[in-house]
Amino acid sequence: MLRAMRNDRLLVVVAVILGTILIAVAVVYWVEPAKSLPGFFPGHTAGSNHHHAKHGIAAFLLGIACYVFAWFRSGPKRQTSAP
Amino acid sequence: MIFAELISYPRAIILGLLQGVTELFPISSLGHAVIIPQLLGWDIHQNADYWLTFLVATHFATALVLLGFFWHDWVRIVRGMGRSLRDRAIDPADTDAKLGWLLVVGTIPAGLLGLLLQDKLRSLFASGQWAAVFLTLNGLLLFGAELLRRRAPQTDADDDTRIARQVSWRDAVGVGLAQSLALIPGFSRSGASMGGGLLVGLSNKDAARFAFLLATPIILAAAILKLPDLAGSSGDGIRGQALVAALCAALSAYLSVRFLMRFFETNTLMPFAIYSCCVGAATAIYFAVS
Repeated sequence: MLRAMRNDRLLVVVAVILGTILIAVAVVYWVEPAKSLPGFFPGHTAGSNHHHAKHGIAAFLLGIACYVFAWFRSGPKRQTSAP
Repeated sequence: MIFAELISYPRAIILGLLQGVTELFPISSLGHAVIIPQLLGWDIHQNADYWLTFLVATHFATALVLLGFFWHDWVRIVRGMGRSLRDRAIDPADTDAKLGWLLVVGTIPAGLLGLLLQDKLRSLFASGQWAAVFLTLNGLLLFGAELLRRRAPQTDADDDTRIARQVSWRDAVGVGLAQSLALIPGFSRSGASMGGGLLVGLSNKDAARFAFLLATPIILAAAILKLPDLAGSSGDGIRGQALVAALCAALSAYLSVRFLMRFFETNTLMPFAIYSCCVGAATAIYFAVS
């Protein structure tokens, strides 16, 4: 029981951190042109001024999904199902 | 204007009517949008900005029709999701909430893959030959889904309750991934989703309903994302044709969804599987020979 609660809390913390990182990544995609993106970002292209807006939207939506998951996971316990 | 000659008003009417039908019938709208102009000898470059912008208008119209057709369902679903967010839990008895979150979970894979891969896949496979080959594979996919389908449980519950009880979170991801096949011209979005629905144990009618609900946010979001292009330079010379095509697409989409919701009460995907295989194979051979 205690272990399950700890796992739940861990999942919530991981989801919130991941959600925050993804939303930060989304902002980077929207603000920076492809040439200025960090090298490990998908879409990084040397010399390109193109903004990868769609990559940003994808990261943003995933980030929101992580927050929603954390919201449900950290809710009051009862007989429920969670996405 | 050269674009106006490439997409004349009669062509716009044909393409609009075709889009409304093929988007909802499980026979691939993108595939037909590639194959038909090439078959008729229309000199339309599939990756040209004006063509993509023109298609956006027809997609937008189709999505609005779907949204309107299921409007009362969407209102219930959104209210259910609101209740679950307020309670921070999804009540197993609240089928509207469960269905709403199933649609969200199913939309995520198709949405992400669409955002990241749509342009690349489109430019890679935007030829009549490829679309014909994939249309044939779409037919085989529909055949396979009907052959491998799980038997739908018989209950007296209403449509949405049956779907919410039968589809698990994992199933929703699977159906969403299946929907992503529609990024390849020739594979049908509704066909892949319906096939996925059959495999997780939905009836044909419920699989069609789930597929149409699942398609609405994706088509609408994709269209809204590109709609500003219509107002920009990409829309020069084709705005009138796009509007006419959108009206035609809206009309044919409305008639199609009405027809299909009744059709799948008693019928299967088999006629569409046969159509896709025959037309796909015939056009593939025609393009190869000519």
